[in-house]
Amino acid sequence: MKPLQLKEVVKQYGDKTAVNSLSLEVDEGEIYGLLGANGAGKTTTMRMVLGLIYPDGGSIRYNGKPFHEGLSRILGYLPEERGMYPKIKVSEQVVYLAQLRGMSRKEADSNLKYWLERFNVPENYNKKIEELSKGNQQKVGFIASIVHKPKLLILDEAFSGLDPVNVELLKETVKELRDQGTSILFSTHRMEHVEELCRNLTILQKGNAVLQGSLRELKSHYPREHIILRTGGPVEGLQNITGVSDVKRTDDGYRLRITDESVAQTILHVAMTQTSVQQFELKEPTLNEIFIKAVGGESNA
Amino acid sequence: MHNVWTVVRFTLRTKMMTKSFIVTTIILALIISLGVNLPYIISLFSNNESASIGLVPGKFTSIEKSLEQHFMKQEKTDFKIVPYPNASEVELNKEVEAGKLDGYLTLEEEKVGAFPKIVYHGKEELGMGEEAALTNAFTLIKTEWLVKDSLTAEQMAELSQPVSVDSKLIAKAGETKEKNPVSIIVVMVLIILFFMSNMMTSNMIAAEVTQEKSSRIMEILITSVSPLAQMFGKIIGMFLLGLFQIAVFLAVIIVNLLLPHNTLPLKSLNFDFSMIDWSVVGGGLILYVLGYFLYATLSAAVGSIVSRTEDLSQAIMPITMLSMAAFYIAIFSVSTPNSMLVKVSSYIPFFTPTTMLLRIGAGNPAWWEFWIGGLIMLVSIVFFGWLSAKIYRTGVLMYGKRPSLKEIRKAMRAYKI
Repeated sequence: MKPLQLKEVVKQYGDKTAVNSLSLEVDEGEIYGLLGANGAGKTTTMRMVLGLIYPDGGSIRYNGKPFHEGLSRILGYLPEERGMYPKIKVSEQVVYLAQLRGMSRKEADSNLKYWLERFNVPENYNKKIEELSKGNQQKVGFIASIVHKPKLLILDEAFSGLDPVNVELLKETVKELRDQGTSILFSTHRMEHVEELCRNLTILQKGNAVLQGSLRELKSHYPREHIILRTGGPVEGLQNITGVSDVKRTDDGYRLRITDESVAQTILHVAMTQTSVQQFELKEPTLNEIFIKAVGGESNA
Repeated sequence: MHNVWTVVRFTLRTKMMTKSFIVTTIILALIISLGVNLPYIISLFSNNESASIGLVPGKFTSIEKSLEQHFMKQEKTDFKIVPYPNASEVELNKEVEAGKLDGYLTLEEEKVGAFPKIVYHGKEELGMGEEAALTNAFTLIKTEWLVKDSLTAEQMAELSQPVSVDSKLIAKAGETKEKNPVSIIVVMVLIILFFMSNMMTSNMIAAEVTQEKSSRIMEILITSVSPLAQMFGKIIGMFLLGLFQIAVFLAVIIVNLLLPHNTLPLKSLNFDFSMIDWSVVGGGLILYVLGYFLYATLSAAVGSIVSRTEDLSQAIMPITMLSMAAFYIAIFSVSTPNSMLVKVSSYIPFFTPTTMLLRIGAGNPAWWEFWIGGLIMLVSIVFFGWLSAKIYRTGVLMYGKRPSLKEIRKAMRAYKI
């Protein structure tokens, strides 16, 4: 019984298919990445999971059950456009949102204080949202989505617009929630965040899942094409080896691009016969490269 | 249900404390107390001495004499006639200039033997009341002047009595009979209160919904609590706020009426608390509640389809028009509460709150008519509540330009609402 299970979900707006037969599963204590260019169907998928809109086909199950009223207590949602009441105090609105999700006023209040302390902004408790900086508003929005201890957390572009220090802070928090058993559906444009956080992911393009699976598996499907070579001295004749398509000199070695993985051993051999090898790495493709390959030139992400 | 009350509490807490709400309530309370004290304030000014009017002597000595006598006989007169024998118009002009006189009269002969033409000279034109008093006086004098001594003193007295037309109502069984004039005042006050507080709270609801949409908190709200609970929580919260405001206004009115300095001017207007018909007030309250919910659900629906606060006033125009129509139909029909227009519109749910109130306060409807009007309203509240909830559910997810009805219907179908 998975906390969240989508089966062949279809959503159409008029004659445009926004999501086409998408299936995915999110386990307990797992962060699931949803990648895609703008307009690929990420937000529509999330809205369907949240029950904001209903799928035209397929099914969405939560712990095996269809969408029901009680879900609002276990769902947490941070929309891409973080919404807050600009003229109302942080404490007032965060506690209100938690109350709507079924938490008591007192508990919500103490949770809010804990999180403000964690994010080093306890002084914001009594401030109005419009008085806060954009980064602090985002922190409050994030707190509002987790203050009621959701079991299923949906984060739409959670880290966009934050400085690196705060991105780290939020990333740590997300990992901590994951380790406590929260299932998280996570959408982003930023590949490095997915590589760091997600076990499984789906790349969407125009509503279709063009790539799907675990990060490890996906990477193993894509040939490793880059070799990093750091050596004690120069190496001659690298570009003459068949299967090497490009050689670039760096200040203490070479970066090579190959068309076939088996050529790697030959390169290492050639290098070792000429000089001492300090580093030899057959690099996995980055998710960025996989994404660009999968989505092709049509992406504008 | 639990969530509805959470929304109600939040709405009350955040709205009650806003500056705009406090300021408008205070300003309106001040205006209302000014209105209640108006008879007293007017009495302060009207106690001033009567206007002094000069009289330039001419050929018509008998008329001049009776004019002086006429105003001397009255206990409370609007005028004091000051004769200026042997004075020229130039001198009198100077007196007016100096402020000693408000103006003066000259009698000008137009035809030999005919009643002279009366001309008033003054810095300002005569007011309506003053002109009427003068006309009355001269009409009497003219009669006397014409009949001279051909009538007896009794006949003269009878002639000066105005004719009065009394109307007596023939009441059918089940119809309320005599209406006291206080009920009409009560009805007017209730209609104005209803109109003001209804406009304010409806606009606040629509603005609040649009704000939630434009600040994008709507997506979070709508995933936490059902749109129906959210909409009605907000409407009930605003309703309590509106009731609170009305209670403040009524308290201001009653406290002002009870102030000692107001007893006398009010008595002269024949007003007494015991004359208030409380069944009219009760009926008015029921109609207010029903009317509020009808307009509030529509406002919430309108607020939900607009994405930006700037577009709101335009979108809410039809609702504003409806409530204005309801207000003006009732106000302009105060003297004809049993006309066909009032009767028909008292069964149209948008107009029932004001027109039915006018009918029970000033007209003669049977009580079953009142309850039928109420029932029609109740049914339309359920219908528009349901429709508004659907529009609300769809509208809050639609951003961009204001959608047309067709687009809303399409979106409803797409969202499966």
